[in-house]
Amino acid sequence: MPLLAATGVTKLFGRLAAVNRVDVAIEPGEIVGLIGPNGSGKSTLVNVITGMEAPTAGRVEFAGADITGRRPAAIARLGIARTFQIAQPFRNMSVRQNVAVPVLFRAAHAAGVAEALRRADEVLETVGLAAKRDLPASALTTPDLRRLELAKAIALRPRLMLLDEVMAGLTPAETDAEMGLLRRINAEGITLVVIEHVLRVVMGLCRRVVVLHHGSKIAEGSPQQVTSAPAVIAAYLGPRHAGGGGPETQ
Amino acid sequence: MIRQEAPRQRGGDARGFAIAAAALAVALVLPAALNTYYVRILTGIFLFGILASAWNLIGGYTGYPDFGGAAFLGIGAYTTGILMVRAHLPFPAALPAGCVLAAAAAAAMGALLLRLRGHYFAIATLGFMLVLRQLTANLEITGGGSGMNLPPASDFKIFYYWMLAGLVLAVLAGFALPRTRAGYAIAAIRENQDAAQVLGIEPLPYKILAYAANAFLFAAAGGIYAYWLTFIEPLSVFNLDFTVQAVVMALFGGPGTVFGPVVGAVVLKTLDVTLTNVSLFLHNVFFGALVCALVIFAPRGLAELFQASPGRSRWAALRASVRRALQENRV
Repeated sequence: MPLLAATGVTKLFGRLAAVNRVDVAIEPGEIVGLIGPNGSGKSTLVNVITGMEAPTAGRVEFAGADITGRRPAAIARLGIARTFQIAQPFRNMSVRQNVAVPVLFRAAHAAGVAEALRRADEVLETVGLAAKRDLPASALTTPDLRRLELAKAIALRPRLMLLDEVMAGLTPAETDAEMGLLRRINAEGITLVVIEHVLRVVMGLCRRVVVLHHGSKIAEGSPQQVTSAPAVIAAYLGPRHAGGGGPETQ
Repeated sequence: MIRQEAPRQRGGDARGFAIAAAALAVALVLPAALNTYYVRILTGIFLFGILASAWNLIGGYTGYPDFGGAAFLGIGAYTTGILMVRAHLPFPAALPAGCVLAAAAAAAMGALLLRLRGHYFAIATLGFMLVLRQLTANLEITGGGSGMNLPPASDFKIFYYWMLAGLVLAVLAGFALPRTRAGYAIAAIRENQDAAQVLGIEPLPYKILAYAANAFLFAAAGGIYAYWLTFIEPLSVFNLDFTVQAVVMALFGGPGTVFGPVVGAVVLKTLDVTLTNVSLFLHNVFFGALVCALVIFAPRGLAELFQASPGRSRWAALRASVRRALQENRV
């Protein structure tokens, strides 16, 4: 049984189909890439899965239970964590307080604030933010804000993490470190869906990739398969290139 | 207005509490040493200390700019009055009933209004207060527009002690809240409601909690106020002036801090009384100018100036604040 199954998910904004009859199934333990040009519906699909937006049609099942249209907090407590494309820190709270929030509100939540802060410190150790735990989140740099997003998601102890461009704006060296971190998270049994523009990340992490374009799923398969599929090349580079090689893979 | 302090364990809190404990000890013996005039002034300061601290729970910690606080003050005043006059309950029994009723009203209204954000919430809460005022003016049980007389107390000093007790309760609420699980939820909601939701927080119940606590304390102040004045009418308790002063005092002292609102109430009410005695004209000019200056130069209140980092004087903090104001084109 797949951990997450989205069936026929459609989200209309007026007459525009941001997501159009998309079927996606994620197996437990996988790292799946979700790629597509800007405006292809990746973030909207994540919003529907996490309950931030109700789908116009279709159904989302998590671990066999129908979670379509449930509230974001309930879905989070069931075990789906997400990060935002633009980091959403609690700016005037300290870094460790930021991470203590999910520890206090996950399904098996900490008994009290003191314990939650201790647990938060362990997570901050994992992502390499321990030294900055007492800074207000507003004082963090962009790479550190991405680490904080990740730390908050980890601290929720999810079964599935949806990572919306956690690598954006990172240097190649920082990207490598983050990829190592994501592999470690996955090795602990957390299923990952990685939304990413940087193809090197997708190629390096994912065995399976789903490609969206104009809200529809246009390809699915191994990174090699999808990057050589004519429909994908046309989506990224325009139809003229569809006969040639795949998109640039760095 | 909604850029408050996070819940933060600071050494400053311990020092603050030492000062507060000393102030409380002094406050307990003061009525024996002061004449009636000053006891009355202090009772008024405590009243506004309660209101500012109460507003801080919803406006400061939660970031919802409530402008309907007087609605709960009025509920507290009228419930206390009605129970004393018509049911002949003693004051200590009537007062908590008013507080509980106000908290329940806040929970019911909050379930609707706390879905609104920013200005919409502010206007809706103000509207709620005005509706209650009209209702009170037209009901028979409240005495309508002609008001209601409460039985007089034997000793005026009891109001001083009741207000002081209310103030202690309000400060304790402001101290305890940010240190609890609910306080973390409230802070996260204030900072970023979407991010809070995807981390497992259902926002509405926590917002209602803060709103009901705010209402409970407003009603406590209102009930004591009614017994103190022995006469209430719709316009005197469902009075926007209470709300606005509470908001200004909380913002002045430092919203989202434990002691800021109380300091704001003490400083502004003392200035208010002093300047009124000197000249009513000067009082109006100074008061307005002072509020303007603070909003521009220390938008996070006095607390901002007193949280200067070590090695940096308060004067330097003020100058930095002015520089920031200039850079952000607020001047």
